[in-house]
Amino acid sequence: MAEKMCTMRRGFFLMGWILTMSLVGLSFILLPLKAEARNIKVGIIDCYSGPPAVYAKGALNGFKLALKEINKKGVSGRKIEYTTRDTKFKVGIALNMAKELVMREHVDVMVGTINSGAALAVSETVAMPNKVPFIVWISKSENITGKKGNRYAFSAGENTAMAGKAGGVALAKKPYVKYWIAGDDYEYGHAIGKAAWKNLKELKPDVKVIGESWWKPGEPNLTPYITAILSAKPDAVIFCTGGRSMTNIMKAVKATGMAKRVPMWIHTGIDYGVDKPLGLQGPVGVMGTTDYLFYYPETPENKAFDKAYEAAYGDHPGFAAFHGYITAQFIAEAFRKAGSLNKEKFIDALEGLKVKSPVGGKIEMRACDHQAVLPEYFGITATSPKYNFIIAKDITTLTGAEVMPSCEEILKERGK
Amino acid sequence: MGLTQDLTATALGNQLFVGLSMAMILFIVTSGLSFILGVLRVPNIAHGSLYMIGAFSAFSISRLLGGSPIGFWLALLLAPLVVALVSFIAERALFCHLYEREHLMLLLFTFSLMLVLGDLVKMCWGADYRSISAPAMLRGSVNLFGSPFPRYNLFLLLVGPVVAVGLWLFSSKTKIGKIARAAAVDREMVGAIGINVSWVFAFAFVFGCFLAGLGGALVAPTISITLGMDHDIIMEAFLIVTIGGLGNMWGALAGSLIFGLTQSFGILFLPQFAIVFPYAAVVIVLIWRPKGLLKSVW
Repeated sequence: MAEKMCTMRRGFFLMGWILTMSLVGLSFILLPLKAEARNIKVGIIDCYSGPPAVYAKGALNGFKLALKEINKKGVSGRKIEYTTRDTKFKVGIALNMAKELVMREHVDVMVGTINSGAALAVSETVAMPNKVPFIVWISKSENITGKKGNRYAFSAGENTAMAGKAGGVALAKKPYVKYWIAGDDYEYGHAIGKAAWKNLKELKPDVKVIGESWWKPGEPNLTPYITAILSAKPDAVIFCTGGRSMTNIMKAVKATGMAKRVPMWIHTGIDYGVDKPLGLQGPVGVMGTTDYLFYYPETPENKAFDKAYEAAYGDHPGFAAFHGYITAQFIAEAFRKAGSLNKEKFIDALEGLKVKSPVGGKIEMRACDHQAVLPEYFGITATSPKYNFIIAKDITTLTGAEVMPSCEEILKERGK
Repeated sequence: MGLTQDLTATALGNQLFVGLSMAMILFIVTSGLSFILGVLRVPNIAHGSLYMIGAFSAFSISRLLGGSPIGFWLALLLAPLVVALVSFIAERALFCHLYEREHLMLLLFTFSLMLVLGDLVKMCWGADYRSISAPAMLRGSVNLFGSPFPRYNLFLLLVGPVVAVGLWLFSSKTKIGKIARAAAVDREMVGAIGINVSWVFAFAFVFGCFLAGLGGALVAPTISITLGMDHDIIMEAFLIVTIGGLGNMWGALAGSLIFGLTQSFGILFLPQFAIVFPYAAVVIVLIWRPKGLLKSVW
């Protein structure tokens, strides 16, 4: 009897063994299949609370709009899915979120953020050591693809070097000699000012700075700064402001009637996100630059993009939405080209990749520094019968090649 | 570089008036904070949030009325009342249970209230930058000493003194004002003579917050109305209250003037370091008079 039990047990054991082995065998056959069919996972870290949330939301909306199209067709049989994490504009939180996305969510690509400090930290301490590609879509720090660039960091938007150069190149064509430089006392402000001045001085050596003023970012009352600048009588003023300081400076310029007295250049002074809240109370005659305008160039593609965006979100797209849209394009196209989810292959595919731009034409991801080649539009604010806010007129386009530092310059910077 | 420019009387005069108009907003906000500090002994960190709610309410009210000039004036009137309502609810539901607690608890409590109100503002108004414009008669600039001076700042220069005089009349001539001042000095005594201290406190709190709302509504046309306004103002407001003397209305005025004027003249003389001047002034005042310029009620 005991022996019988034993044999029965042995039978059970054998059956169990066979079952387990076949399961293991099956899983060897099935699992890779399943892995191959899994979706592309994009992890987004950005600031969805506090004042910068308006840009993060714009970028996300642009990204979602592009995904709608992309997922209809699929990317080599896969879909792109995404998950978002709120950084609350803090570098520490951004780093934790990025680590979590990499370790637990196993994302294939990271995307983010408006905070330059966070973007640089994620690039250097999460993306690079973990070998996960990271595409920066709002932050304009030139260090992301410049001095602190690395194989895993990409930028799908303009940066301070490009914006400053656009301003410098455009101002060099003007007759002004005595300049006053003023702006937000943080990295973005100083970087724009430095880049603009370096390029202006190179092209027109006789220009000089007669004074500078720097205020804390978001300083609510800029009127005393403007009256002080006006009493120094410069030929022109370079304002290096960003974020909510933009509305403040535009309002102060309007209230003091400054634009009628002194010409000035403010990067993003012609940006839709800046001019819309001002309505028709925005100052006329301010020179500005941006890398996206929904009403210019008037190509059928741009009109269609604007229409689709407006239909989906009830608003015109700003530059952040534009960056979000092309980021999705870059991700989809690079995975198509790579043919697998291998991150290194994805990076190789993304280098030098050209995708269709929502304004028409193509946008290239420059291979040498991973910076998207984007044109800058230079214009001057004016009212328009079509819109109930000020828009840019007399727009000139500076091509990406014109406003970007050359590959040699970038590599020299990185070598330092 | 700023020092080498010729400092004409024009520039000085202009800067003086700009500084004064800045000080007026600061005064209106800090007088409310100071009033609450004096009567209730509550260091209300959420005061900045109420200022922000004032600005956002002004935006909504003027938007609701189609951005017309009447809309602006009504917003100026109604936005502080909205803030007063919010603060009344907060006082009756939360603050009134906490007056006997120690200061650290009150500090933590008002700090968390600031975070809660900040999130509520985000839920109600979203994260977008908002902006309202002043009516046509207050737009643009006038010539003052031969250089442009914004009309709206001129308007602020008128409103500030009106509020100051109103506050003085209120606290020294009206019965409720006198009771509030008495409660600031000795709340047990006020209770002992049969006055309902709880309602005096409620009134004082709502009144102080009304001033925060008024400040927010007044500042709205000159800046971008956005989350984060609360943090900007509360730091400065506390510094001003401290250098002026805790709970002293005239101290708040003196502190605001020091803050506004050092900043605007700093900008003229040494624009690169303008941020530092008001804070340097605060340090000097506190070294010279550690308890503030005027007599503190504490």
